[in-house]
Amino acid sequence: MLDIKDLKARVAGNDILNGLSLSVQAGEVHAIMGPNGSGKSTLAQVVAGHDDYEVTGGSVTFKDKDLLELEPEDRAREGIFLGFQYPVEIPGVNNAYLLKAAMNARREHRGEGEIDSFEFLKLAREKMAALGMDPKFLNRGVNEGFSGGEKKRNEILQMAMLEPELAILDETDSGLDIDALKAVAAGVNALRSPERAIVLVTHYQRLLDYIEPDFVHVLSQGRIVRSGDKTLALELEEKGYDWVREAANA
Amino acid sequence: MSRLSDDKLREIVARFPTTRDEDWKYTDLSQARDIASRWLDEKPATAASALQDDAAAITSTIDAAWLVIADGVLQTTQAPDGVSVDRVDDIPVGDSALAEFNAALVRDGIRIRVSGQVERPIGLLLLDSAEQTSVAQAYVEVEFQNGASGELIEYHVSRGDADQYANTIVTLHVSDAAIASHVRIQDRGRNHLQTSKTRVSLGKDARFSSASFDLGGGMVRNDIDIDIANTGAEVSFDGLYLAGDGQHLDNHTRVDHRVGPATSRQEYRGILNGRCRCVWNGKAIVHEGADGTDADQANHNLLLSEKAEIDAKPELEIYTDDVKCSHGTTVGQLDETALFYLRTRGLDRTAAMQVLTHAFAAGLVSRVPVEAARGAVSALIERRLEELAVTIEEDPS
Repeated sequence: MLDIKDLKARVAGNDILNGLSLSVQAGEVHAIMGPNGSGKSTLAQVVAGHDDYEVTGGSVTFKDKDLLELEPEDRAREGIFLGFQYPVEIPGVNNAYLLKAAMNARREHRGEGEIDSFEFLKLAREKMAALGMDPKFLNRGVNEGFSGGEKKRNEILQMAMLEPELAILDETDSGLDIDALKAVAAGVNALRSPERAIVLVTHYQRLLDYIEPDFVHVLSQGRIVRSGDKTLALELEEKGYDWVREAANA
Repeated sequence: MSRLSDDKLREIVARFPTTRDEDWKYTDLSQARDIASRWLDEKPATAASALQDDAAAITSTIDAAWLVIADGVLQTTQAPDGVSVDRVDDIPVGDSALAEFNAALVRDGIRIRVSGQVERPIGLLLLDSAEQTSVAQAYVEVEFQNGASGELIEYHVSRGDADQYANTIVTLHVSDAAIASHVRIQDRGRNHLQTSKTRVSLGKDARFSSASFDLGGGMVRNDIDIDIANTGAEVSFDGLYLAGDGQHLDNHTRVDHRVGPATSRQEYRGILNGRCRCVWNGKAIVHEGADGTDADQANHNLLLSEKAEIDAKPELEIYTDDVKCSHGTTVGQLDETALFYLRTRGLDRTAAMQVLTHAFAAGLVSRVPVEAARGAVSALIERRLEELAVTIEEDPS
């Protein structure tokens, strides 16, 4: 589904990704771990299409399409969802409006009609209930005045409504208390399916107690230096990132 | 019709403010002077007949008791209970060349009195045609009597391809403990000029809430002067100006706090695209002894084009100690992080820009103090922003 080959990228003149390769198939859950500054968030931003990041080498294909040629909105319409580490507050744009506009953009791309308002509300209420969100959040400004946990729940709500084929969740666990973490994890697990792939970008092993990954990759200095199954995350937790750095430099 | 000789009128026109006057340095009235002079030369006859359909269409958008003044002539008067409408015979000459010009030429000046609790909004449509070079004057006095409450909607519209200069004077007096809600919509032709003066005075414990929307007009200068000479007054006014290619929209506000305690707050927002210029000048004067004054002013501007220009100037003059005054002015572009966020949700760049631009305006629409006008205001803004967005697509700068 997603094929990243020898990807090199820079931001503000600094090389961040230095030949990263990763292959993700439908149905898989991958966790990308690594210390701060290892390039985890850059990877997420490059795949989503942020134009502050300059791709200087390599390729990214999604469902056999050259992803790097596509605008961010076209990547979204093709089925990629980025859950932001810092969801943006947009006062004056209400949450329901954005959810609906996002769903309709995707539907239009697939040649489907706009979603019926009643269907939309029903679906949104259902998903919100599952995430433990008050339906009032639908009529609030997007992330406006939301707490950290509410923002992350809101990202998961958007994901649940959009049903992407590939979800990349950037540090979705950061700043969450245990209840919010559980709710978010349940939201992600509900979305696991043979047609869908999920990439979790995370600094800590904690999230993986609730979302069990099929693969764990460790990033260091813009490259994947180690891959394994979920036991790698536990090993990492125990030995710390220095262990990986030493392994990478050895 | 004129109350003065042509020679006297020409002499008044010659005294119109110029950019050498400090208060007028950004707004050049030479075109208005030129139109007034040509109009005095030609003295074309006016025909108000063609405006009836326009008036009906406009008044149908807001549920209110409408007074229509078409080409200076008061047409309909459906005053609700508690409201009286009279023609004013003794237009005060005023203290400026523009006021003198108005007093000399205005045809049906009107005086509205509001007493008791009036539920139904009073609509005032000022509709001017420009089949030929024209000069339009309006003079309106509204008095909200002691303890009264009421809502007033001013709607300024012009039609026609010929040159036009409109000059309006509105005086609002909110008496003791009265509550006045006010909306002003200016949607004149993009080739037309306007100067307007709104004077507001407040009685003890009076409340005045207002929202102004400048959507049209080629060259527009609005002055709103608010005089707080009684304690307990509460003033809140917003303004939104949407400017595209070729427009010049100037809002000058002035609040005189003569006594305290009293509060005033204002927020003006502007959205500018294409080659245009806007001005916001907010003056607040807290006079000696006006202790307990709380004055707040804000002006935020969104510049969507490099060719758009804004002069934003807060002016606070404080002559007493026990006051709370604040002001804030911002000029910026759309937030790139928010744009990217919306694009990752599938909205294309143009749609994302429109969403953010609407959101910027929406904050003021939700505060429109006359609920009956909110829907129409929102629709007008939407329409105007769509027109402005066309320029965004053509010119990504």
